[in-house]
Amino acid sequence: MDRRGFVKQSCFACMAIAAGLVVTELSSCATIPAYKAAIVQNKIAVPVSLFAQSNLQIIQAHGLNYNIGLQKEGDGSYTALLLRCTHADNPLVVTGNGYHCNLHGSTFDKEGHVTNGPAERNLKAYKTEVSDNQIIIHLS
Amino acid sequence: MMKNTFTLTFLLFIIWGCASAQEATTSEDSLNSSASSKPVTTIGGYGNVFYQSNKNLGTSKLDLERFVLFVGHRFNSKISLFTETEVEDAKVAGGESGGEVAIEQAYLKFNLNPNQYIVAGLFLPRVGILNENHLPTQFNGNERNYVETLILPSTWRELGIGFYGNLTNLPLSYNVGIVNGLNSAAFEHGSGIREGRFEGRNATGNNLAITAALQYYVNNFRFQVSGYYGGTVGVSASKADSLGVKSGIFGTPVGIGEADLMYSNHGFSVRALGTIISIPDAADINKAFGNNTPKEEYGAYAEVGYDLLYRNGSLNNKQLILFVRDEKLDVNAKVPANGIKDETLNQNHVVAGLTYLPIKNVVVKADVRVIHTGQENPNLVVNSNTLAYQQNNNLINLGIGYSF
Repeated sequence: MDRRGFVKQSCFACMAIAAGLVVTELSSCATIPAYKAAIVQNKIAVPVSLFAQSNLQIIQAHGLNYNIGLQKEGDGSYTALLLRCTHADNPLVVTGNGYHCNLHGSTFDKEGHVTNGPAERNLKAYKTEVSDNQIIIHLS
Repeated sequence: MMKNTFTLTFLLFIIWGCASAQEATTSEDSLNSSASSKPVTTIGGYGNVFYQSNKNLGTSKLDLERFVLFVGHRFNSKISLFTETEVEDAKVAGGESGGEVAIEQAYLKFNLNPNQYIVAGLFLPRVGILNENHLPTQFNGNERNYVETLILPSTWRELGIGFYGNLTNLPLSYNVGIVNGLNSAAFEHGSGIREGRFEGRNATGNNLAITAALQYYVNNFRFQVSGYYGGTVGVSASKADSLGVKSGIFGTPVGIGEADLMYSNHGFSVRALGTIISIPDAADINKAFGNNTPKEEYGAYAEVGYDLLYRNGSLNNKQLILFVRDEKLDVNAKVPANGIKDETLNQNHVVAGLTYLPIKNVVVKADVRVIHTGQENPNLVVNSNTLAYQQNNNLINLGIGYSF
């Protein structure tokens, strides 16, 4: 086989693998649930029942310039992350495995840890607690 | 008439952005220190040095290819400034060729709400992968891929205004922008539309361009489609008439279509991109400016990488990525009747190597680029005393880079 043929066949093989991966991933495609909330006394209350269908809720708090990603963890606790890139303050986009910044390409995992720079600091996490079937996010 | 409509739209866009961004900050803003309205200045940057050995030429070079400083300033929670100043090849001296000092980005950003913002100034349109993600720590190989260098002219910045947003319920990002157009008089044989960029310097305002992109995130994939359509003749109508080209906003247009995907999971990463450029009035451009402009260009690449340290649990966040990329491009896939086909611009590159990140913002790279091109067109040979053109070549690259 000549070099051209090898390259061509390698490309076809890669495309076939990629197509397979795409079909697999798309089969579990889902929308992102969003919840609008008010801030009262430095706190945001989110109903626990929202997590019946999904482990992630995007919280849009009136007056905040960034969304909050509220993730239900395996142990039943909740992680609240400010979706603001720690590199240059750009809002983050939710991806399948965390969050992505379109400005310089930084990525963060679902726990807010930097997975790709240039960001060097993890996402700001807020303290959470569960009370009366409400998840309370403490902003201060 | 159309031009006036665009100007009015442009102004309304800016006024809307300013008005929205100047809303009084609420008391809730101050609850959150990271969203406070206090002015903050941030500094960042990136750079890379690399060694390249060229097998055919028998030469090698060392170059501080890029040194970029990023300065941002948040005036308040709604309005920010972003700038990037770049020095290429370390030194710019009067009377000597080489080197470049350029403003890579300088724009104001107006936050409308957590999901939407407007940028105005010199910014990078969202076309391709590399244009927005060009830090050396973000791509494999010492050199940027040739498809997004010779076909898509990254890093490509122009003056204009852009509207960016994310849908709330779907992992979909969108943007649309109006920027100054290209200058077809400056197109050069062999580099496609690259030399037609104004990059913020005395751009013509008579011809404009529209860019738009959609990004969709699903699980570990990111899909993007983007497009660009704009005029390339910014001279007056009478001068354009005398040159035999069309002026106006979209006169003598360039159209670009692009689609790409990125995948990353468990140390495995894939990137693939395809793009096509159409210049339907290339014959008129050639007649007016004699620069052998092609009618069509295309390029595509696919890259697969695997982090060899991933199984170690990414200890200390180190990564050692083994990658291979295949790039195929043709800068003159179709030429008009008055153009000359140059098969040396029909190229295939295979790049393979290692990318080592001891920490996320520092990279050490080693790669080899195997190049194969079409045959030289004897009609394009000006000096027949030069060495015979060689269709195959290898480049060996070693380098370091950083970003912060």
